[in-house]
Amino acid sequence: MIGRSLKETKTPANAGVFTLVITGAPYSSQAPQTALRFAQAALAGNKRIDRVFLYGDGVHLASSLVAPPSDELNLCEAWAGFLSENDIPSVACIASALRRGLIDESEQQRYGLSAYNLRAPFEIAGLGEWVDSTTSQSRVIYFHKGN
Amino acid sequence: MSTLIIIDQPPYGSWEGREALDMAFSLAAFDQPVSLLFCGAGVNWLRKGQDAGQVGQKSVERNLAAAPIFGVEALLADRNACHQFGLTETELLDHVSVTDFSPELTDRFNHVAFAG
Repeated sequence: MIGRSLKETKTPANAGVFTLVITGAPYSSQAPQTALRFAQAALAGNKRIDRVFLYGDGVHLASSLVAPPSDELNLCEAWAGFLSENDIPSVACIASALRRGLIDESEQQRYGLSAYNLRAPFEIAGLGEWVDSTTSQSRVIYFHKGN
Repeated sequence: MSTLIIIDQPPYGSWEGREALDMAFSLAAFDQPVSLLFCGAGVNWLRKGQDAGQVGQKSVERNLAAAPIFGVEALLADRNACHQFGLTETELLDHVSVTDFSPELTDRFNHVAFAG
């Protein structure tokens, strides 16, 4: 990808607290699994994760209807378990979510849809949550789908 | 705290660029300084006279025209990419500045994020 060999010359923010932004979908990209490994390593290294924000195709990670074969990793379940165990707030962007059929109970009612499928502990909220992270002391790391 | 959002994908093929634009508008709505940089095939976002009706989409031109009104500080186009895609300055939308995508540019921002 053009211009993606930027050299990091300084740590842009406090490296003790991280916000993870996941934009790649599970099973279509490595982003959610890499992000989970990063998050596990961060906590093991006594770092903190203040928020996980799902954006774009990343919202599929919050689906409760994902049912891979029983001998395969269920990424959605693995992420939800990790977030609950460690009490980490997790938000799927509402505009990305609605566009891709990721719905909570109140949006189901608002749009008169046939079902909702948001998996706990994920919540649906606006980009303001991401803005809050970028303007805080946490270091925001993006997990994209890549090429 | 200033942010640079980089769009390096062409318009209309996916929603990643539009969603990156939403990120920029969202920062601006919270009065946070934000600029957009278009590079690679992303410079095609900045082409004048786009008609996306044939692909059932709205032209991104109008979204970008609204960017300065919503408080996005700068629309930047990478010089090399403009050259690669045959875009001269007269073919670019108004309010676009041609620049070089370099570490010196990204160093001016606290926070740099790619579209996807």
